[in-house]
Amino acid sequence: MPADYAIETAGLEKIYRSRFRGREVTAVSNLTLRVPIGVKFGLLGPNGAGKTTFVKMLLSAVNPTAGTAAIFGQDARQPEARRPVGYLPENHRFPTYLTGTGLLDFYAALSGMEEPQRRKRAAELLELVGLKDWGDMRIKKYSKGMLQRLGLAQALMHEPRLLVLDEPTDGVDPVGRRDIRDILNSLTGTGVTVFINSHLLSEVESFCEYVAILNKGRLALEGKISSLVAGRGYRIAASSVPPEALDKIRQIGASILPSPGAMEFQVSSREEANQVIDQIRAAGGFIESLAASSSSLEDVFIKTTRSEKAA
Amino acid sequence: MSIHLNRSRSQVLAALISDTFQEARARWLFWGLFGLSTLLVAIFLFVLRIDIVQGAVSFMGIEATARPIYNIRKFVNVSYSWVSIVLYIWGTFLAVFASAGLTPSVLEAGRISLLLSKPLTRTTLLMGRYAGNLAVVALNHIYLISSIWIIIGLKTNIWEPRFLVAIPISLFIFAVLLCVVVLIGVVSESAALSVMVAVALMLISTILSQRGIVVKLLDSQWSRDLWLAFYWIVPKIYDFGVAMKDIILYDHSADWFTPAWTSAAFGIAVLSGAIYIFKRRDF
Repeated sequence: MPADYAIETAGLEKIYRSRFRGREVTAVSNLTLRVPIGVKFGLLGPNGAGKTTFVKMLLSAVNPTAGTAAIFGQDARQPEARRPVGYLPENHRFPTYLTGTGLLDFYAALSGMEEPQRRKRAAELLELVGLKDWGDMRIKKYSKGMLQRLGLAQALMHEPRLLVLDEPTDGVDPVGRRDIRDILNSLTGTGVTVFINSHLLSEVESFCEYVAILNKGRLALEGKISSLVAGRGYRIAASSVPPEALDKIRQIGASILPSPGAMEFQVSSREEANQVIDQIRAAGGFIESLAASSSSLEDVFIKTTRSEKAA
Repeated sequence: MSIHLNRSRSQVLAALISDTFQEARARWLFWGLFGLSTLLVAIFLFVLRIDIVQGAVSFMGIEATARPIYNIRKFVNVSYSWVSIVLYIWGTFLAVFASAGLTPSVLEAGRISLLLSKPLTRTTLLMGRYAGNLAVVALNHIYLISSIWIIIGLKTNIWEPRFLVAIPISLFIFAVLLCVVVLIGVVSESAALSVMVAVALMLISTILSQRGIVVKLLDSQWSRDLWLAFYWIVPKIYDFGVAMKDIILYDHSADWFTPAWTSAAFGIAVLSGAIYIFKRRDF
């Protein structure tokens, strides 16, 4: 059965327990997130919000304390679920004894690529990321930006259907950033889902279609960037909205901001606002307020993280 | 280009083994092992100073010129058996030192998370590393022991194939010790601690093997039982050395089967523990 989402998590939670003192830190709490197939999705959040822990749970580097995660409908803990995934970790440490070509070859072999394909694809990708002349050089000679580009090539080697990039432009100069963005933009329309974990708002705003904001391990906001940051839009506050109505409201294009005792919905047009109100009322919810809004992603981010702090 | 991805576990294992080889080479462990083995071979050549003149053997000042050939054969076998013990201890120590860093290095943050994102189980990842490490040491053992065998064979014209039993026996004991190195590496990510524990285990095993004497000296039954219990739990490194010597010298050993299976059981239990902990760890 074809999957509905590239990434789907339900109630995902990670609590770190110190070994001797028994202290607990909740890194991610009750995180339910759905990333549609083929979209460019950004995960934002302040430092320590749980973004990297979330990605690591998704890719089985961290064992969840509770909840489930699925990649294209397959349980993420199963190795096969990770076969269509290309991953560029944050603060990666590639083995410095490998050459650029050797590194691409090694990780692609682990992904299941056959040897002749690996050789051909590695040459193509080294050229794409501007490292054509560096393929036979040991990577300890590479600069930070070159390593990042090589990491991107590594993630793309086996033509993944889901690309997970953790701070992809970290340490890259402005020209390199633009190159990386161009490479990622070239994936538009190919059906590849791009999931970017970043703290750079401008990067996410310029590249992604959808965004989720994590704060203190909780999902603070998710939705379409166009509806969140529209020059003009509408914000609807409602109460008693049943959870089953949220999917229909999302389909309209509204972003959902959960807040204590009520929910806020951000839409980009009057028509969408009307549809959302209709859905809320049909589901038995109550409209508490309706207001015109105007904001950038930065405004949304700051407002979201501040309101969470206040709560 | 449409890319076909196969699900072959052997390809993944081959990649992991090859990666371990490359890392051992790049960290100079591979060359260090071979360099030190070559040094031992050179020292052996120098000390041996064997001259063959009409069947005569001169070995460390001992003349056998007038003795019949069966005495020379016996003499060579005695030499083989003692040399095998030296190689066994030397090879095992070197191998433990060379291997200690290979498990912690793969657990470094930023490296392990990428490896775990690939479609392979944690068991496969750890076993691939283990197999690669074992393969590096196997090559060195084959080189070291075969070289000595060839040198003695060429010098004496007596080729005793039983000497080569030192290769599988040394490798077997190293494979068991490597399980300990991997476990400590997974738990502590410390190469130094891995070496300390493995070397301590070698010494403890040697002490415990003196059970015949110690049991007579202990005055209570429970302490004798405790000693014997520990003896049966830990790998029989000393016993294997003795068994190897006996096989080379007499073509038989008193009992090598029991030490073999108890040591193997220890290794399997420790490696299973390492896998269990590795599976539960967060990176």
